[in-house]
Amino acid sequence: MDYIYSFIPERIRNIPTHMDFDGQRRAEKYFQIIILLFAAVGFIWGYITQMFSHTLYILFTGVIISSVLTLIPWGMYRRNPLKWQPARDKDGNTASRPAIPAPQSQNKPKKKKLKD
Amino acid sequence: MNSFTSRLNSLFAFTLSVMAALTFLCFLSTFFNDHIRPVDIKVGKVTALNQVVLWDKIIERGEESLLDYHSANTKYYFWDYGNGLRGHENVTLTLSWNVIPNAGTLPKVTGAGSERIVFPDQYTSGRF
Repeated sequence: MDYIYSFIPERIRNIPTHMDFDGQRRAEKYFQIIILLFAAVGFIWGYITQMFSHTLYILFTGVIISSVLTLIPWGMYRRNPLKWQPARDKDGNTASRPAIPAPQSQNKPKKKKLKD
Repeated sequence: MNSFTSRLNSLFAFTLSVMAALTFLCFLSTFFNDHIRPVDIKVGKVTALNQVVLWDKIIERGEESLLDYHSANTKYYFWDYGNGLRGHENVTLTLSWNVIPNAGTLPKVTGAGSERIVFPDQYTSGRF
């Protein structure tokens, strides 16, 4: 796989394929709802025509629609990225400010939150 | 859910569970089917609770289901090992069939009406 990876051009390699957590939750909810909906419609239609194959065909179109909607990593699933802390170098300094000074001069809560 | 394959896996597993549920519902729905019985028939021979099948046919959905046979031969052998059939007065032919579902109960429907045949007292030999 890594060998093939080296042949893929740069622009395609840079296409993002991840989803953030909220996007994953939404994607799972979407495909469950869509498949259940098509299953219900398919069952009713199959009962009317008395052909179970009709039920399965309708279900499969639902599976294809929900696959296109949720398997492909669309941009709408990356709207809530995690808010990471800014990176620090080995001295504990962030890129923009030095580290907060020792606590003896101030009253501080246990957890230090860096403001940026 | 963070990679294509994991999403594909959950979607596929969910689809299989949904199909199993649909099949189960189909199974339950067959309990509510009632069947119309036609009138004119003949086939299985019945004598005082001895039954043999003389003829059968598989009809698939879409095929012609109105059968009209005249002077057909029996499809299966019909032997008399004793003397029970000679002069027998109550040989009855009836027709019944199974309705085969994709998933569900397998009802056996018996047609209304039957044909009674009286067998002669003497054996005959030769082919007909």
